[in-house]
Amino acid sequence: MAANQAHNAGMWVFPRAEEVSGDMAAKSRAMPRPMVAAITVSAILLVLGIIGFVARAVDDGFTDHAPWGYYAAIFSFLLMVTGAAPLVALVFRFTKSHWRRPLSRVSELFALVGILNLLMFIPLMFVLPAINNPGAGEEAMELRRTIWFEVPIGAPHWWDALGVGFLAVLGLAILWLASVPDLAEARLTSGGMRRKFYSLMAGHWFGTKRQWEMQKAGLAVLGAFYFMFLIWVHFIISTDYGQSLIPGWKDSIFPVLYSLTGLQASLGLILIIMFIMRRWGGYQEYIGISLFWSASKILLGLSMLWVYHVFSFMITYWYGRLEVEQDILKYLFTQSYGGMFAANFFFSFVMPFFLLLWNPVRKTAWGPALAGVAVLIGALLFNLRIFVGAFNAGDVYQHALNGVPPAVWPDIWDIFMVVGGLGAAALIYLTGTRIFPLISVWEIKEGAMYQRMGTFIRGEYLILAKPE
Amino acid sequence: MQEGTVLPAQQVNRDLLRSILDPPGWFWPVVALLGLIVLVAFGAAGYMINRGLGVTGMNRPVMWAFFLTNFVFWIGISHAGVMLSAILRLSKAEWRRPATRAAEVLTVFSLMTAVLMPLIHTGRPWRTIYWIYTAPFVPYDFARGIWPNVRSPLVWDPSAIFTYLTSSVLFVMVALLPDMAVLRDRTTGIPHRIYGMLAMGWEGNSRQWKFQIIAGILLSALILPVFVSVHSIVSWDFSMTVSVKSWHSTIFAPYFVIGAVHSGVSAVAFVLILLRQVYGWQNYIRHEHIDGLARLLMFVATAWFYFFFMEVIFGFYGREADEIALRSFQFTESPWNIWMMIFVGSTYFLPMAIWLVRPARRNLWIMSIACISVNIGMWLERFLIIIPGLARKQMFTFDWGTFRPSPVEIIIIFATFALVTMLMLLFSRVLPLIPLYDIKEGDILKTEIQIGRRTVPATFRED
Amino acid sequence: MVTNRINHKWGMVVDLDKCTGCQACVVACQSENNLPINTKDSFIQRRAYEWIRIERYWEGEYPNVKARFIPIMCQHCENAPCEPVCPVFATYHNDEGTNVQIYNRCIGTRYCANNCPYQVRFFNWWEPKWPKTLRNHLNTDVTVRSRGIMEKCSFCVQRIRRGELTVERQEGGKLDHKTMGERNVLPACVQACPTSALTFADQGDETGPVRKYFDDVNEHEHHGDRTTRGYRLLEEMATKPNVIYLKKVDQFPLTNGGNHGG
Repeated sequence: MAANQAHNAGMWVFPRAEEVSGDMAAKSRAMPRPMVAAITVSAILLVLGIIGFVARAVDDGFTDHAPWGYYAAIFSFLLMVTGAAPLVALVFRFTKSHWRRPLSRVSELFALVGILNLLMFIPLMFVLPAINNPGAGEEAMELRRTIWFEVPIGAPHWWDALGVGFLAVLGLAILWLASVPDLAEARLTSGGMRRKFYSLMAGHWFGTKRQWEMQKAGLAVLGAFYFMFLIWVHFIISTDYGQSLIPGWKDSIFPVLYSLTGLQASLGLILIIMFIMRRWGGYQEYIGISLFWSASKILLGLSMLWVYHVFSFMITYWYGRLEVEQDILKYLFTQSYGGMFAANFFFSFVMPFFLLLWNPVRKTAWGPALAGVAVLIGALLFNLRIFVGAFNAGDVYQHALNGVPPAVWPDIWDIFMVVGGLGAAALIYLTGTRIFPLISVWEIKEGAMYQRMGTFIRGEYLILAKPE
Repeated sequence: MQEGTVLPAQQVNRDLLRSILDPPGWFWPVVALLGLIVLVAFGAAGYMINRGLGVTGMNRPVMWAFFLTNFVFWIGISHAGVMLSAILRLSKAEWRRPATRAAEVLTVFSLMTAVLMPLIHTGRPWRTIYWIYTAPFVPYDFARGIWPNVRSPLVWDPSAIFTYLTSSVLFVMVALLPDMAVLRDRTTGIPHRIYGMLAMGWEGNSRQWKFQIIAGILLSALILPVFVSVHSIVSWDFSMTVSVKSWHSTIFAPYFVIGAVHSGVSAVAFVLILLRQVYGWQNYIRHEHIDGLARLLMFVATAWFYFFFMEVIFGFYGREADEIALRSFQFTESPWNIWMMIFVGSTYFLPMAIWLVRPARRNLWIMSIACISVNIGMWLERFLIIIPGLARKQMFTFDWGTFRPSPVEIIIIFATFALVTMLMLLFSRVLPLIPLYDIKEGDILKTEIQIGRRTVPATFRED
Repeated sequence: MVTNRINHKWGMVVDLDKCTGCQACVVACQSENNLPINTKDSFIQRRAYEWIRIERYWEGEYPNVKARFIPIMCQHCENAPCEPVCPVFATYHNDEGTNVQIYNRCIGTRYCANNCPYQVRFFNWWEPKWPKTLRNHLNTDVTVRSRGIMEKCSFCVQRIRRGELTVERQEGGKLDHKTMGERNVLPACVQACPTSALTFADQGDETGPVRKYFDDVNEHEHHGDRTTRGYRLLEEMATKPNVIYLKKVDQFPLTNGGNHGG
């Protein structure tokens, strides 16, 4: 791979098509020690999480929603990040960006975690308070505020479950469709159980022209659909489990901010994984700096959009001086969860912004990855702040907050559940990497065809093909 | 595969400077006609200023109406310029090249037109000097201790708009430098001297090109926050109003910005189609460019629809009697419900149906219909935000009202469209509306590569 | 100029039980404050000037109906939504607790009127005109507003000033709650009300007629806890008006419950 060194210090890399298949097959079969260690750690965390969950269920039961705040927060964090992660590949495939080629499998593999999301959602169905107020009194509402205006049958619990479940199915369909050419290839290079599995998954894929056309059209349609459906699921989950549980919080920008946080955090997470793969995973011949450079510009943009949305929420609430709005601001932004908001603000905006502002930082692998760590922490804090706040905001049938409730800090079971959720997601993902090749082989090969070096006047420059 | 042929530089110059050096015969009659419409509107505005705002249809609950609707509309159109030039320049989209100049110029002229609206809206334009102290070069009235109230969104507004106006004029000027030099070399007499002055000694050496490119990229990046802030602040004029339930919505800032981009990009697409037809620039504004704009618009329109949906659903979410009354006025009472249906249909569903079909995207007539439809819809959007909110303000049902525009308002609104068209035409008479150097650069960077048996269009990347 | 002025905090109490909807206050305000004559046209155009207006609501279904009246004037909110939005400081809060409009600063953006939940701000759409016979009736203490200017109830600030001047200059007295209370500063509407439904006084005056209502409403957030009939308009907006309304006590309530349609 000589061209790699010649051009711009690994800005773009041109893997040789012949070597890619075999290399990737070997890499996804291998079981290096750090990988074993990571799988073990995440399994232990998962066990801790199960312990925490059982203890919480035994202690408090499912009748009251208040003790489940941290559980809802970690569920929402996983849904937000892993739901949005496949989108990174889909969006940049749609815009025909060449730099996204190495990251598409890493991003689509997150669809596997959709199953965990669905499982984790089931307990939450039982804790959501009813929309009809059982004891509607003088000052309380008969129906609490929800987006389910006429309250269709099964809303919101079953509709939300349907949304989360369908999103998981859709994600898996996209993962399968995007990896079918690679699975078909892996079927040839592997043996035993693996071979059987790959043959089953690859079906009748032979790479005919018609099949390729179908696959690309399918990815485009499914991708557009996934995007819209993800935004819809973000909307219903964030309002049903977040906004509508805080009396008096009427905030039309919150679902948007929620989706935006998800997109930002998922891009951050993917950048972290790309960094690890490039630095320690032996993938440096697939992942050029151009990926970090381009992705970090997007991440910078998303961070700025994040702060813009937060600001446009805060100024609208602050300016009006309405008591009901001031209480919400005090609860979530300045008093009860004020410290958490400050940290969230720092990690979701200040740190990524001041890191990625500089072109020399954007042109490294570590800079964008560090910003990715920040936005991931920021997103976790965002979810803890909003969902723990929402689950402990008092009587949901009131018109407004009754004063400013205090913040609720985690007990030991809450901590177990939070780390357990993270561990479970990591376990599923890491297992997935041992089955699916972590680099989308067909996209890399395609990319190698479309980009080459050419002479322009006096210098060597990159030529990018943009086929229809 | 590759659309359009690569033309020699002389041919590019000849074609694109035709509007200046060899203007078509219809030019002055059309400008005169548009000028007449504008004059009629000036007459109407003069009559209004002379007699008082009573000649409009505004009344006690509905204190803001057509003028403010039109103001927001033109500010919205002005968002296309930066959206296209800056974002597409930063993302190195090749198909931006012929569209940038027209978009930027449209930005400048629509901003100027928009600024006229609040001036006549107050009824006594000469008094607005106390309002626009935030404008550049207007000194504060220190001596009499009159300060603007910085808490008022109406002070944020002129600050943002004048910043935007200044920076977009700068943006256009920087992009114009090489083309001014071309014109300087092809004219004589007084025009030669004026172009020479505006070209600021451009010789086209590599140092000047480097600075021009750096300035363009820097301005693109710096103008983006300004662009977002302008329409956000315009939206805050409304969303800071706690008393009007449907206005006091946290989503207004991004909702207005995306709506502005939606109407602005549609307007640019329409302007490009017009330019292609009237000046015969088929070789420069090609179907692929209109197609690219249409595909961008599909995304923008859907994002807009999402924000619109959020705005509406959270209107009902609150279950508050006053907001429900307002919304039922907006959605169920005739004629507002009919306008509402026309608005949603023409802003989203009709154009979306057109853009989803590739042959329709590449048919200029159908594309024009889609673009005009979007802009009719976006005008109605602002109208349907402003009027029902005021007409059903709070639960004092005794004070509820409605609004019916007067001829004066209708004339002025129509004339703003004539004004912008006239200014665009006049601009095309003196400066090229398609950047010469950008087209040439695109042609130079264009190449092809061979993949198997196929030849695929490709471009050189500068980084 | 009054020099040693004490800081007043003016307040009004409107007893809805006494209001008969006779509109005497409206007429009194009209002539005191130089408001143009409201013609039929101006009502049709919804551009009538009524610094104080009587809103009429019907309760119940015909024939079993009752008319309800409520006089609404500028509420002189402590936390007025109209104030922060004016770009030129044409409206602001003075130290007497009233919301004042500076006519020659106003440029006519009409933002304040949009942001007023009580809709008590009036815009001069036309140059105001009076019939020849009324030329000489204009109150010399009150500015005549030209077109393009926002105006509203001022709590008859000219009468308050005249009261202060009378106490200090003509009677040589010291300005305090007692002397001012004796001067009986009355806005035109209060003076004209035949049933004394309107009461205007200094909230700072411990023994004054409005103090107990303000104390009660300020201290008890929930209507159920209050000992008087007092309430404020749109209390949930937290505008803290300096006008308090006293609930109507209906001796013979409608049997069918009634709705509050307009």
